[in-house]
Amino acid sequence: MNDQKTLLSRIATCDFVLHETALFLDTHPDCAEALAFYKKHLEMRKKAEEEYTERFGMLTHRDYNGQNTWQWTEGPWPWEYEEV
Amino acid sequence: MWVYEKKLQHPVKITRTDPAMAKIIITQLGGPDGELGASMRYLNQRYAMPNDKIKAALTDIGTEELGHMEMVSSIVHQLTRNLSMSEIEKSGFAPYFVDHTVGIYPVDATGNPWTASTIQSTGDPIADLHEDMGAEQKARKTYDNILNLCDDPDVRDVIKFLREREIVHYQRFGESLEHILSGLDKKNYYAFNPAFIPRK
Repeated sequence: MNDQKTLLSRIATCDFVLHETALFLDTHPDCAEALAFYKKHLEMRKKAEEEYTERFGMLTHRDYNGQNTWQWTEGPWPWEYEEV
Repeated sequence: MWVYEKKLQHPVKITRTDPAMAKIIITQLGGPDGELGASMRYLNQRYAMPNDKIKAALTDIGTEELGHMEMVSSIVHQLTRNLSMSEIEKSGFAPYFVDHTVGIYPVDATGNPWTASTIQSTGDPIADLHEDMGAEQKARKTYDNILNLCDDPDVRDVIKFLREREIVHYQRFGESLEHILSGLDKKNYYAFNPAFIPRK
């Protein structure tokens, strides 16, 4: 299993859950269950993101962490699927 | 303000090229019920929306639609990689190719460029939210039609994901409309524009 792929997929899963829950909260802002659900996945997301950006590079350019080179420009870009 | 995240909302991994299918699917980028129109519709409607919850919903759904635009473009891009000239000619892709090569340009399935005349921003929250619910159903319809035309499981996986999102958005816009209607002045029985009362 490719660590980078696994981590990125964990982040994408968390992001989907967060986005979906955010849409629900937009129209149900006082739902305690949804708020707790959001918080739980936000914590999972933060952890996965920290590990990803430390080991594999940037998701947004604000993930810059002092490297000697601007990794933001490194491909593949999200639309460039290549069989690995 | 928006910040780009270097990933797709849902992965697009298409192994087999199919320029004829690309010509059909590109309508969900630049067609009348596509994702470019969806994002422009919702993001532009926000300013006249009086209700904070619905400002949030339009912002978040409009933002997601930008991500869907990127996914549809990724499908079209991956379906048209490494084509031979004979594949381009035989598949009916040549009319697109002559203007755009294999670049991504927002057109519908018959080649008409995207136009803002396929969307509305009326300044009337009730009219806008009805339009938004209709737009989600129309986009869901296009994805259903694509699923009827497409056999490639790599493409179908992404189209099914996008189709599901239309259903969720329809639900959220329905709730938004209820919020507006339940908050109307009781004298506004016929639900006229509650967001614009001319200054006396």
